[in-house]
Amino acid sequence: MLENYFSVLIFILIGVAMGVAPLVLGRLVAPHRPDKEKNSPYECGFDAFEDARLPFDVRFYLVALLFIIFDLETAFFFPWAVVLDKIGWFGFGAMMIFLGLLVIGFIYEWKKGALEWE
Amino acid sequence: MYNWLTDCVFYVAAALLVVSSLLVITSRNPVRSVLFLVLCFFCSSILWMLLEAEFLALVLIFVYVGAVMTLFLFVVMMLHIDLEKLKTNFVRYLPIGALIVLGMIGLMGYIIAPEHFSLLAPAHHGADYSNIKELGTALYTHYVYPFELAAVILIVAIISAISLAHRGPRGRKSQDVPSQLNIQRNDRVRLVDVPAEKKE
Amino acid sequence: MNFVIPDVVPAIPEIFMLAMTCIVLLSGLFLQRRYPSLPYMLSLLALVGAVVLTVALYKHTTEITFHNSYIIDHIGSILKVTILGTCFFVFLYCRRYVADRNILNTEFYVLCLFSVLGMMVLVSAYSFISLYLGLEIFSLPLYALIALQRDAARSAEAAMKYFIMGAVASGMLLYGLSMIYGATKSVDIAVVSQVLTSVPASQNLILVFGLVFVVVGVAFKLGGAPFHMWVPDVYEGAPSAVTLFIATAPKIAAFAMAVRLLVDMMPLYQVEWQHMLIVVALVSMAIGNFVAIVQTNLKRMLAYSSIAHMGYMSLGLLSGNAQGYSAASFYIIVYTIMSLGAFGMVTILSGKGFEMETINDYKGLNSRNPWLAFIMLLLMFSMAGVPPIAGFFAKLGVIESLVEAHLVWLAVLALVFAIIGAYYYLRVVKVMYFDAPEHQSRIDTTSMDTRIAISANGLFILVLGIFPGIIFNLCKAAF
Repeated sequence: MLENYFSVLIFILIGVAMGVAPLVLGRLVAPHRPDKEKNSPYECGFDAFEDARLPFDVRFYLVALLFIIFDLETAFFFPWAVVLDKIGWFGFGAMMIFLGLLVIGFIYEWKKGALEWE
Repeated sequence: MYNWLTDCVFYVAAALLVVSSLLVITSRNPVRSVLFLVLCFFCSSILWMLLEAEFLALVLIFVYVGAVMTLFLFVVMMLHIDLEKLKTNFVRYLPIGALIVLGMIGLMGYIIAPEHFSLLAPAHHGADYSNIKELGTALYTHYVYPFELAAVILIVAIISAISLAHRGPRGRKSQDVPSQLNIQRNDRVRLVDVPAEKKE
Repeated sequence: MNFVIPDVVPAIPEIFMLAMTCIVLLSGLFLQRRYPSLPYMLSLLALVGAVVLTVALYKHTTEITFHNSYIIDHIGSILKVTILGTCFFVFLYCRRYVADRNILNTEFYVLCLFSVLGMMVLVSAYSFISLYLGLEIFSLPLYALIALQRDAARSAEAAMKYFIMGAVASGMLLYGLSMIYGATKSVDIAVVSQVLTSVPASQNLILVFGLVFVVVGVAFKLGGAPFHMWVPDVYEGAPSAVTLFIATAPKIAAFAMAVRLLVDMMPLYQVEWQHMLIVVALVSMAIGNFVAIVQTNLKRMLAYSSIAHMGYMSLGLLSGNAQGYSAASFYIIVYTIMSLGAFGMVTILSGKGFEMETINDYKGLNSRNPWLAFIMLLLMFSMAGVPPIAGFFAKLGVIESLVEAHLVWLAVLALVFAIIGAYYYLRVVKVMYFDAPEHQSRIDTTSMDTRIAISANGLFILVLGIFPGIIFNLCKAAF
């Protein structure tokens, strides 16, 4: 089975090489003379007042979490779709129950307003 | 050729996995730690692939790299962790941590020794073998009960996440169409009967 | 493909529970504005229905279905009915508490019902996969429930602590189960116990290692020492209604897990797990009873008392004979009913804006509400093991089984700890009856239904003490 993935391996190797080569070349060829002033952050000539990183809103987290749940759901769909002819009506019903439960979860989140931003 | 190549891929991926997982815990910047964790997942996905578990390998990238790590990044950015402060006791706890890790590694080495662990490496299959088909036929028939329980866990996760993190609509200016349509004339307009003044 | 469609009939109680929970969720979403108490009523209906189905569908034989994932047997049915009944009383006690506070109403009931569903799955689990899934379905809602009162920082901390400790416990259990899987090549409990008959413990150390981690995981979930660190903080930090739930039904579920993994799966390794459980039991009884003496918060004191009780319960398990197993199941059922009453009392006495948490709050309860004080007296006497209340017979059964197993020294130690433990239960009684109340006002936070429920609960303990055979014979028939 693995021989099917040989081309993927080649693809990954070339892809990594394409990404790494410019970085290495830049490092080797370009002049590289850092000093303290060059590395310090520039803010209109003043010293920086505060950290540039601001805490994110908790709603991003909620959206990401809900995304994972439905992402997992689609992960369950792949093998199901591939073997649907073998598992018959029983497998079909099993997936419909699975899906029904998640639809109830979806109704809940919609009705609660978790999908709305502002 | 075949064995040589798979061995080579295995050792490269395994070495990269160990190095990147070390970098996850030692890196100074939390965002960089998360990115090294992505690399970890990627390497373990290659290891899955070498075991011919192609579906699990792809799901690892699809779910973990695609979704879970996004969540991790959001959490890291939401919490605004000062990693330097967390690491003040790093040296103090290092000996006991190292001891535990050594114990775990020793235990695992002992367990996986072939005379104890009776599971053998799976045989290599031909080009027409499909791991997804094998998985699918087992999952939706023999393991249908755990499969439905997984749905229950997911719905519990939805409810918990929303009831903990969602604070309800805040100053939302959306239209409520049904109530706009249901409005009666009497709710909007009040007709007042004002007695007309008589002209003198 | 040799696939037979599994028989779903034994699992109908679980399916009914799942369907009803979804209905409660949807009713709360769409109809709560019009009928505010609908989710509560439907939740009670779900529990009653599940009890009826569990009893009606039980055919007095062991049935295994879903390809060795699901088992229903005598002990499983008893424990399921107890879990459902406990949850019914939990809902009765905490309706007002939840309504008075900033706790999402529907979500509270739905999460509790999901947790109960997880416990039912765990009780009926007959393979590692369904066992682990059941464990997660029952613990995940609990983490969320603790933090549901979102403006309370103390609850959030408790939830965090419980979550991390629970994750560690799950990890330990999985690690142990994976070792057992590695050695036996199967995840089915029936197959594993079959394979183990041909492998003596001395030859296969990996199985003993796996067993160590399994026992650790079980002890974590039971809340027995030395894995008890989370119990006092979680019990104290959670809102009383949630503490009431956590302190009762999950204990039965954890007990069921111990029965499935130790008694059903590894009866041949009984010598090994007996030694581990002796440590757990001794340390639990010592820590629980001694530390409870110095507590001033009643919820925290009851938390330490629960640690001690888990110690007594494991005495029954470790004695390793049928008498011990039935004594342990009788103990866990009686403990759950007692703890239901005690935490229920804390919950129903707490009114809007104040909590009856410290022992000093109970000063002079007798003059403020004599009937509730009497019920509390019964519960405390029962926990202390004063005859003729149920707690006494529970302890007696456990100690008898120890003597049967030739562990007389352990029985003597258990008696000594029980006498030490009696002190702090009696202190509560003393505070209620002989101290002057700090507030003169009569307690009127309870409503009619909670008063009936708590009276039934307290009197049931008394009746069970006089006729312990009602439940004890059921437990005896199970092993």
